[in-house]
Amino acid sequence: MRWYLIVLVVFPLTVSTVHGQTGVDVDADHARKMKAGLQVFRESVRSVLEEHCLKCHNRQSKKADFDLSTRKTLVESGVLGTGAEDSYLLQLVRHEAEPPMPFKADPLTEAQINSLAKWIDLGAPYDKPMGGVRDEDPVKVTAEDRSFWSFAAIKEPVVPPTDSDWARTDIDHFILAKLSEAGIQPNGVADRRTLIRRAYFDLIGLPPSPKEIQEFVNNEDPKGYERLVDRLLASRHFGERWARHWLDVARFGESSGYEHDGNRETAYHYRDFVIRAFNDDLPYDEFVQWQIAGDEIAPDVPLAFMATGFLSAGTFARQVTENEFEQTRYDELDDMVGNTGLAFLGLSFGCARCHDHKFDPIPTEDYYSLVAVFGRTVRAEKSLVLEPGAETSIVQVTGDGFTPIKSLADDRGYKHFYENVYQLNRGDVHQKQSVASPGYARVLMRGEKDVDDWRIEVPGDWDRSDLSRSSLANWITDTEYGAGHLAARVIVNRLWQYHFGEGLVRTPNDFGLRGETPTHPELLDWLATALIANNWSLKHVHRLIMTSAVYMQTDQFDDQRATVDSANKLIWRRVPRRLEAEAIRDSMLKISGLLDRQMFGRGSLDESMRRRSVYFTIKRSKLIPSMMLFDWPEHLVSIGKRPVTTTAPQALQMMNSPQTREYAAGFAKRMTNQMMDGTKDSSDRDFTKAIEFAYQSVYGRDPSTRDAERSSSFLKRQIAVYTDLDVKAPESAALTDFVQVLFMGNEFIFVR
Amino acid sequence: MRTRRQLLRQAGCGLGLLGLAGILDDEGLIQSANAATNAPLQARKSHFPAKARHVIWIFVNGGPSQVDTWDYKPKLVKWDGRPMREFDPEFKDTTGFFKKDVGNIMKSPFKFSPRGENGKMVSSLFPFLGQHVDKMAFVHSAYSESNNHSTALFKLNCGLPRMGFPSVGAWVTYGLGSPNRNLPGFVVMSDPQGRGLPKAHAANWTAGFLPGVYQGTHLKPQGQAIDNLVLPDSLTTAAQRNQLDFLRDANAEHRSQQPAEDALNARIESYELAYRMQSAAPEALDVDSEPDHVKQLYGFGEKQSEPFGRQCLTARRLVERGVRFVQIYSGGTDNQRSWDGHHDILGNHTQFAGETDQPVAGLLADLDQRGLLNETLVIWCGEFGRLPVAQKAQKPGRDHNPHCLSLWMAGGGIRGGVTYGESDELGYKAVVDRVHVNDIHATILHQLGIEHTQLTYRHNGRDYRLTDVGGKVLKAVVA
Repeated sequence: MRWYLIVLVVFPLTVSTVHGQTGVDVDADHARKMKAGLQVFRESVRSVLEEHCLKCHNRQSKKADFDLSTRKTLVESGVLGTGAEDSYLLQLVRHEAEPPMPFKADPLTEAQINSLAKWIDLGAPYDKPMGGVRDEDPVKVTAEDRSFWSFAAIKEPVVPPTDSDWARTDIDHFILAKLSEAGIQPNGVADRRTLIRRAYFDLIGLPPSPKEIQEFVNNEDPKGYERLVDRLLASRHFGERWARHWLDVARFGESSGYEHDGNRETAYHYRDFVIRAFNDDLPYDEFVQWQIAGDEIAPDVPLAFMATGFLSAGTFARQVTENEFEQTRYDELDDMVGNTGLAFLGLSFGCARCHDHKFDPIPTEDYYSLVAVFGRTVRAEKSLVLEPGAETSIVQVTGDGFTPIKSLADDRGYKHFYENVYQLNRGDVHQKQSVASPGYARVLMRGEKDVDDWRIEVPGDWDRSDLSRSSLANWITDTEYGAGHLAARVIVNRLWQYHFGEGLVRTPNDFGLRGETPTHPELLDWLATALIANNWSLKHVHRLIMTSAVYMQTDQFDDQRATVDSANKLIWRRVPRRLEAEAIRDSMLKISGLLDRQMFGRGSLDESMRRRSVYFTIKRSKLIPSMMLFDWPEHLVSIGKRPVTTTAPQALQMMNSPQTREYAAGFAKRMTNQMMDGTKDSSDRDFTKAIEFAYQSVYGRDPSTRDAERSSSFLKRQIAVYTDLDVKAPESAALTDFVQVLFMGNEFIFVR
Repeated sequence: MRTRRQLLRQAGCGLGLLGLAGILDDEGLIQSANAATNAPLQARKSHFPAKARHVIWIFVNGGPSQVDTWDYKPKLVKWDGRPMREFDPEFKDTTGFFKKDVGNIMKSPFKFSPRGENGKMVSSLFPFLGQHVDKMAFVHSAYSESNNHSTALFKLNCGLPRMGFPSVGAWVTYGLGSPNRNLPGFVVMSDPQGRGLPKAHAANWTAGFLPGVYQGTHLKPQGQAIDNLVLPDSLTTAAQRNQLDFLRDANAEHRSQQPAEDALNARIESYELAYRMQSAAPEALDVDSEPDHVKQLYGFGEKQSEPFGRQCLTARRLVERGVRFVQIYSGGTDNQRSWDGHHDILGNHTQFAGETDQPVAGLLADLDQRGLLNETLVIWCGEFGRLPVAQKAQKPGRDHNPHCLSLWMAGGGIRGGVTYGESDELGYKAVVDRVHVNDIHATILHQLGIEHTQLTYRHNGRDYRLTDVGGKVLKAVVA
């Protein structure tokens, strides 16, 4: 659906109907019927069955092989039929079939029979099993389930041969193989101006300066491009750019949400962790492990503690009353489990909270065993010395055995965690079943392994926790028998997507049965293998991707090839992309000369601040309006891919906001300085140099003759307007208007 | 003879629908309504013919007391002063929020009298709205889940009592777009008297996981109503027009090098649209230009009514110009600054009903006289009801009650003069024909021509709906 919507936004709308699709293979009325059926069940059917039938037809004494203690066994017995009309059960109780039921007892009343009939027509739902039996046998996870492409182990793919000299790297071999199957050719390599701009935005989210462009264009080193990529990967801004992508996935925010939306003053340390981790190229497996259990795995490393902010970054209702205490805790746990699944494995564990996952082989039992892993995990604050010799900082962490951060409901006796986690029927805290014990998604447990095989033994001197989160982290990154191969596939796909606009799997947060299948499955596996083989180095994968011919190609469009592959799934061209909210703002700041490059630390809610946008404080009730306009997420749930919309309020922001004007004025000042070179007398100025400098800075190229003419006559016109108005410095006002127009232009925010 | 579509084209491509609105049907509006080719807010066809084209939701923020407003409970007099457990042995002190202040059953301090042709019993709080009961369909058996404001607000606005899900206005504009592209499709107004936003703030009109373009545009009650609508001091209209001319030429040249990129076109259009919005939006919001007799309907000139009256009149001007969904919050953030009458229910409800009674009644009358009520669904509903027992205080109030709330709908294909569902004899719990929040949403969508089970959005592997896994259309209130 998300992809569908993006198509809608990017291409002319020809279909004019309400968005939506059914897709789900259940009766549209399913939920309503189940609800109505449950009511009938509770009101009468349950007591009828319990009083008149269950004695003989229960789990132990299955008279006539017929056990009605659970819906599953009742359905399997075949007595229900497809409805009341052809139900054998009804025939029996109506005494239309032999033997008459209830056996050797008074017949049921007509009212009782009628409610049975109604209930059967409504799908015969149970609210819970009868006769003290546990709910339906959990769905078994089968070998077939495990063979689904994303769950299966990676078999290292063979790089397809090619005799084309287009290919620069192994990646290109995979791309060419698919393209030649379809009989189409990819585009050639883009020119150097395009490449440097593309590389800068992709890796650091800022445009290159005119000087940097000139040097790169004139550079004759055959490895010049590769060196450029290396230089950008080493830039401190790389971590800031890529942390922002991850913060979307991690649904990172710095307030609790809900009505009080209390600030989490020390949550920003998690952002600092992500920036540092990406800059330092922290191996991805460790990156994952630390976010789940850094406090246990590396208790001496402050960064590992900061990483655990991941688990508690979600929203949390702090003001609750007694009736909601337990539900609130399960909601909190659901957020931790759900986001762990989405972020690291692209799986929606949360769907199994109320019933077995409808599409993926994730039984409810697995969900609650994952919940049990976090059973005693709480949001807390801890004093840490972040760097040797530094003062202590208070850091928001998540872990077991810490004092929970106070909630407004503490006065009413709010319990931050409970002794046990129960498996719940339909996610309802009033329908507790058995106590759940820690475990994982069995579909990602290979080789007959069991939970114990990943268990980390608790050392004698450790008493803060039972290390069940460390054990989970162990499983999630285990490439031999655990979820490691999926984790690797998911992250290389994310990297690919942020470089190309679309992933090899176009549903980055859904690698399940309903997600899209990979366009290039072998390439995805090859990249995942490369990640694992290179000590989980993300920078290695960035380098592989960015030095490929498929990444470096031009955006040239071609009707013929478009008829073969209109969605560009085979990647025969580069698709220009609109910059994200952060990159748009940061680029204007950089060009204006106003960018404050201070890294790390507490952020700001002030829209006029001049630090990079990643340092905007994310207060959920006060999201930065100018960021929101350009599709900033709401920071409530994991976002794998931002939508791209085009709206009039965005245009108003570029036209009228004090910030855009300020950035334009900042650059106008730089231009004035540029023009002063050599000309002391202002009457001599013909703006040629200034216009060149502006085009180079904003668009990364020289102005064409027409650009130059248009610019110069615009400047003259504006100077006349402002002179007439007796504005003090008409020239700088005109230059400000000029720079602002360049910022407004499509060329600025669509990167080719 | 012209088709409706041709008529519409003639009428300026669907912009400025004044007076024409009544004859537009769903098929007419869509293809030609706006120039921008790939606008996410472009009007779209509904699943089946719509009864309502617009929604105005008067959000009675804080939780109005059903037994003091619309759900007349004569038995309260008999039970007055007796402990609630005599009525319901299972009643818990934690049903409301303040478990230490639970008092005895308390009759309504307001008089009820029969109003309208159908003789609906209406509280003395609503002398003006009482004139319109024959247009309204009442639901007395709705219930929510949470006894906390923000979660209950989320439930009513987004369908689930948790954060992160799109609001009903966002779902509607996602589904149908909005006919007037010079104005936002989903507009929200909040308390104009400095009493703050409803609890949980903008999350009440969030787009959730839908694209951000569908979130409600909040008209700021002070200062400029919409961000960036006014030129900065350093720029003049003439200077800006020059900028846009330059931009148009430069963008066209850039576009010609990349003919395949349709997104470029949309953005080119968005600037012209923005330029027009600079005049269209202030024009739409200019309630002062209305004639006096119209203003009087809304209570202009009355200190108590005018602030909310201005918002109701704004709402009418917005839907008249095609805006799809308008929500107005009555009351601000904290307890006594909204309908949250924990203390002094008499004073609290007298104040907030007093502020809104004439304006909302004026809105109904004005929509009606313009033929707009037929196509505009008006809803009066808050996040939960209040308990029939007193909350102990110097002047007694009432605490939260998630088990029962009353609401009414009017216009937009709603059957007037009916009452659906019943609460128990004290108005404590919804008992007959209980109405889930999903049902309210399903009914709103139904009036707009949307099959609620078909309005879905795939997010993180699941097709989400406003109505989650429930929802039935309340056929009894639909004409």
